[in-house]
Amino acid sequence: MAQEDDDRRAWFRREILPLEPDLLAYARQFCRDGQTDPEDLVHEAFARAIACKTWREVGNPGAFATRILRNCALDALRRRKVLTITAVADFDRIEPLDEAPSAHAVLESREELRLLADAIAELPTQCRRVFTLRKVYSLSPDEIAVRLGLSVSTVEKHLVKGLRYCSEKLGRRIGRKIRVDEGRSWSARRDHDAKR
Amino acid sequence: MERETGSRREAVRQAAALWVVRLDDAACSAADRAAFEAWRDESHEHEAAFEREAAAWTRLERLRAMRPPAERPDRDLLAPERRPVLSRLGQSTWARGMAAAAVLALSVAGVTTFGGGTAYATAIGERRVVVLSDNSRIELNTDSKVLVRYRHGVREVRLVRGEAVFEAARDARPFVVRAQDAVIRADEVSELAVRLRGDGAAVTVKKGAVALDPQPAEPKDEMRLKAGVAAVYNSTGSRARAISEGEIDRVLAWRQGAIALNGQSLEQAAAEFNRYNRQQVRIVDPAIAGLRLAGYFQTTEPRSFVDAVTNAFPVKAWEDADGDIRLSRKG
Repeated sequence: MAQEDDDRRAWFRREILPLEPDLLAYARQFCRDGQTDPEDLVHEAFARAIACKTWREVGNPGAFATRILRNCALDALRRRKVLTITAVADFDRIEPLDEAPSAHAVLESREELRLLADAIAELPTQCRRVFTLRKVYSLSPDEIAVRLGLSVSTVEKHLVKGLRYCSEKLGRRIGRKIRVDEGRSWSARRDHDAKR
Repeated sequence: MERETGSRREAVRQAAALWVVRLDDAACSAADRAAFEAWRDESHEHEAAFEREAAAWTRLERLRAMRPPAERPDRDLLAPERRPVLSRLGQSTWARGMAAAAVLALSVAGVTTFGGGTAYATAIGERRVVVLSDNSRIELNTDSKVLVRYRHGVREVRLVRGEAVFEAARDARPFVVRAQDAVIRADEVSELAVRLRGDGAAVTVKKGAVALDPQPAEPKDEMRLKAGVAAVYNSTGSRARAISEGEIDRVLAWRQGAIALNGQSLEQAAAEFNRYNRQQVRIVDPAIAGLRLAGYFQTTEPRSFVDAVTNAFPVKAWEDADGDIRLSRKG
């Protein structure tokens, strides 16, 4: 049973999690009227996807995940007290994706390293130091606490803060979205894929 | 209400991140592990959030590749002002010499240093975060430029073009933003957005408080703007009003790469999209310029905006030889 759970989580991490930036872009289409947070939709879709006991039968993870997300969006719409016309119209218009958002989601490794280094450089000074000692130099939280004269729980707080910052960056793949020329042709291509 | 769900999501992710950090520590006890299992078993929401944070933590293992061989741990290895050491990773020139500030964007184009300060600029469609030596941050919107001059007694930033959010960190020196003729001064930790418009600017205060003096040359009273206040000024005068948190989020939607419309005219909306894209949206029929719109769009997707407009209104769109999108009344 434990093994089965581990396999299911490994599947989720391997097949579903990397789709996050694509799912977020898809979720935004349901949130045009600003009443629902697209990140909440993705968060909820993840919870439903990982619950899938029949994951072995999922042939196309991208189509599977977008279908779940669409259901989450529909449920969010039903929960609303006030429906806006845009929301309903959008819903009718947005087709479920047949195809998986493809695997070019994976950042080229050098670029990912740079993205991560940039993310860490953006952290406040003390947080950045703690994070650097932990993740680059593999010092334990205890060692870091001694070295920087902090309590272990403060070290933990800094690590949590740094991890949260990086995981949001990775989830939004912000590094690619922002770049002007490359980023634009890339997102245009992806967008095209998404609409097919 | 949605704000609450957003903070709930954040709370779950925070808890998940703490478990990731704890479990990766060799000092983690069996009792801690049991507590984690119990937490994870509470819901699939917890389970999925944990996988998400754990995956990011694992991806961060790659940073180990940056460790210089045979050296004592250097806690400032990844400090902004130290980024030149990463040049072998593909970054070419970094602004050196000016210890006052460092750039953290992916590309270094648009950074120039000269005697008077350091300039940071973005191209059309680009966004960028700059962290200054005192941990103050500047987030530049599309097609924008700032000039940073930190001197004795004052931290001064001039907004030369476009729009930016300034997060002033705690410091003995005041943080001063100059925009057109005006001087905007923050004496405490503050977050404010400034957008140049015509011969004036719009100032929105999100956190803290600032003093706005639209015409420093004239001996007039300066305006005190608290969090939740927006002011506009130009050469003819200035006014301020309180705005809701939702309105502030709408004004700052660009930080999420979005444009949030809430009753703006089609003309205003098109102008907004045109700031972010080389492909321009042009309204060739004045009859439709006044249509009112609401919605949330990605800044770099004028196409999906145009699709939404043509779906909702009797408007047709076509692309001309110059690549721009033109809109007119249907029929």
